[in-house]
Amino acid sequence: MTTTQTDRLVDDYLSRLEEAAAHLQRSRRVELIAEIREHIEAALREEEAGGEVAVRNVLERLGPPEEIVEAAEPAPEAEQRPRGKLEVGAMVTLVVPFIGWLFGIAMVLISKAWSNREKTIGTALALLAAAPFAALAIVDSSSEGTTSTFEVLLFALWVIGGLPSALYLGLRLRRAD
Amino acid sequence: MLALLRGGPRYGFELVRELSEVDGLVTSEGTIYPLLTRLRKEQLVTTFWRESESGPPRRYYELTDAGREALDDFAKEWARFRDSVDAILTKEEG
Repeated sequence: MTTTQTDRLVDDYLSRLEEAAAHLQRSRRVELIAEIREHIEAALREEEAGGEVAVRNVLERLGPPEEIVEAAEPAPEAEQRPRGKLEVGAMVTLVVPFIGWLFGIAMVLISKAWSNREKTIGTALALLAAAPFAALAIVDSSSEGTTSTFEVLLFALWVIGGLPSALYLGLRLRRAD
Repeated sequence: MLALLRGGPRYGFELVRELSEVDGLVTSEGTIYPLLTRLRKEQLVTTFWRESESGPPRRYYELTDAGREALDDFAKEWARFRDSVDAILTKEEG
């Protein structure tokens, strides 16, 4: 077991902690992670066993990151992440090309049901749908008149472009329940 | 927790290990840090940094005056409670 591998165990643990602490106030989250990191460093210096065993022992004694965050502030999932008409509306709207994407993205951004990370991914996915549209415009201007299968394909992609975003956001909502 | 700090400032790891050794209730040591944060928010505990002989500087936790007071109050309260329970238990036995 090399140092990098044990480091990865610690890094994994800390990123789980960070994810679990997403609902905490920024300053509290940063502090909590710093405290746990310091704890791990101090504990590793005292461990008799070295390498992976030491790291696993220390992390085991710390307990699951989710439990630590729960002790700080239970995640008020039900209250903070309501699944209302706005969210369902956003997902339906996102499927409608162009105007729908714009309104859909706006609704996603307003909603409190998604985390900032989820909003970013959802928006990026919706914007990706604009790519086939742009490609279609280029192809269209170069080949006059005739409609190629490629264009049809691009058009189809364009029409369903909002689906991945809507699906992703929908799945994240279900996960939060 | 406050009682452990009575003897003077401790750094995080030391405090946590000690507490988990005394207290059989602590199953995950990590949960003690949120508790420390809460005590700090209530201004019963403060933190400061101190150089360590081995490794980087450490974050120490220390009782504030208010923390000392709270601890004394609790100690009195606890003694009263313990006496009452003892009294009942001895009566039952006798």
